[in-house]
Amino acid sequence: MTRALVLICAALLCAPSLDAQSRWNVSFGLGGGSEIARSRVDTVRERVSGLVLSGEAVATRGRIVARLRYGQGRVTNDTAGRDVAEGEALLGYKARPWLTVWFGPHARTFVVPGQSDRRWLLWSGRLTARGTLFPERVESFVELWQGVTGSLNRPSASASGGGAEAGLVLRLARRPVWGRLAYRIEQGRVSGGGRRETVEAITLTVGFVPLR
Amino acid sequence: MDPHRSETDRRMTRALVLLAALALGAMAAPRLAGAQAAGPVLAQGVRAYDDLEFDNAAGLLRRALTFQGADALAPADAARALMYLAATELLRDRRDTARAVARRLVLSNPRFRPDELVFPPQVLSLFEEVRRATPAVIGRAPADTAIRPGAEALEVRLYASTFHDVAATLATEDGRVVRTLYTGPIADSLDLHWNGFDATGTTPPPTGRYVIAVNSLDRQRRVVRILRLPLEVTQGRVDTLPHPAPPADSLLLPERQSMGPGLRAFAPAALAGVAVVVLPSVVASGEDASGARFVVGGTVTIAGIVAFLSHHPGRPIPGNAAHNRTLRDAWRREDAEVARRNVERARGMLGIRTGAPVLLTPEAP
Repeated sequence: MTRALVLICAALLCAPSLDAQSRWNVSFGLGGGSEIARSRVDTVRERVSGLVLSGEAVATRGRIVARLRYGQGRVTNDTAGRDVAEGEALLGYKARPWLTVWFGPHARTFVVPGQSDRRWLLWSGRLTARGTLFPERVESFVELWQGVTGSLNRPSASASGGGAEAGLVLRLARRPVWGRLAYRIEQGRVSGGGRRETVEAITLTVGFVPLR
Repeated sequence: MDPHRSETDRRMTRALVLLAALALGAMAAPRLAGAQAAGPVLAQGVRAYDDLEFDNAAGLLRRALTFQGADALAPADAARALMYLAATELLRDRRDTARAVARRLVLSNPRFRPDELVFPPQVLSLFEEVRRATPAVIGRAPADTAIRPGAEALEVRLYASTFHDVAATLATEDGRVVRTLYTGPIADSLDLHWNGFDATGTTPPPTGRYVIAVNSLDRQRRVVRILRLPLEVTQGRVDTLPHPAPPADSLLLPERQSMGPGLRAFAPAALAGVAVVVLPSVVASGEDASGARFVVGGTVTIAGIVAFLSHHPGRPIPGNAAHNRTLRDAWRREDAEVARRNVERARGMLGIRTGAPVLLTPEAP
């Protein structure tokens, strides 16, 4: 599996393209959002929600894209609460101007006081499609991903999952600032069907492009 | 050999040679005399007139006018001879004869005017009287020409002896009127135009022989003279131009905003909106997704609607409409010009040959 990932990453990085000769474009963003996490273990269900703050960085050179996201917050309900930290590191390839293919790890950790952390790690392949509403100003996007392999650390088990994200990206005229309103839903499943966790989030992100 | 016989033969031979020379001279003499006679006879007649030898002058002038063919007087000399003859007859107190000669002169050359320094007033007065009493026209036209019917015209210049009314028509040889060319007065001269069409005003007459007839009318509207100018009309070949193609669609700009750009802007938003609504059931089956997602889905969809409307689908584009109008107008102008030229070409070139004009007098002089 590791070999396959290395090969895919190498192929993406070495993909010959004239655009690859262009310089890096980097974008940063900070955001926050309301997140709802539902976990189900057999017949036991739990729902927690809260605010998660996040940051991200996207670097583009030609057709190659790299994206890092990290978010942290706390989700609670009337009886319990937990911290949540989540992140992803993706490497992407712009197969078309409107279509990007991604691959990389995606992790989420729930921290409950008095217990060891419960961490989901999924290696996922993703597709992001973008469409222009107002050229250079507003575009919509839909991202689908599917975990190709993954694990849950407690209880230790292999895991799978998938997710989707859709929303709207706005860019200000003559300013290197952008904003994004998005809805995201993800679900991780332990093999065998004993445990399932679903996370929904509505996020608002503001970013800027220091290098262009 | 007998010497007397030889001498007789020599004399005989000389006599024959002499006779032959005389015969040849006699045969050649009349031709030489005739070839040189008209001009000198006219000159002799004029000299006799100047010497007041009117009887001699009348004879010489009449004799000068009798020469025919190549020996005949040139038209200008003939007119001069007639004028001197008219003057001579008047001065011989033969007024009627003088009038007849003057009338002959007017009919042969309506434009002739006597030299006031040469002829006495009574002669000038007689000629003027006769000229005014003898309405006639003579016409001149190009011997061989071609016109484009409707666009060009055959021009026939008419010269009148005096002010009178004329009626000019184009007619077939058998007298059927093809087109009336002019009806009205003529003073000194008049340009007659025929544009190549028949009475319909749109069609050239068929190839054939025609005549331009100019009737001179007296005060009682009777035809007193007819000038007939023969025409031989030949229609040319028809060769039309192709009509220009209308402006290609690739050159025309859309005159109204199409739905396409608006739909292309709306489609991604609609897709994202639908994805927000539908994907939770695909990605996380068995979970009740939060209704908050509709906020995002609705926002994306509204943004798509705004994007769709911002393209103003169906709205007129004045600049493009003006551009297309310019192209179409140019094409219409070119098409109309080709059509006009084709109509002209369909008429074809009309070849016209004119013959020698003939002046007829229906009534006895």
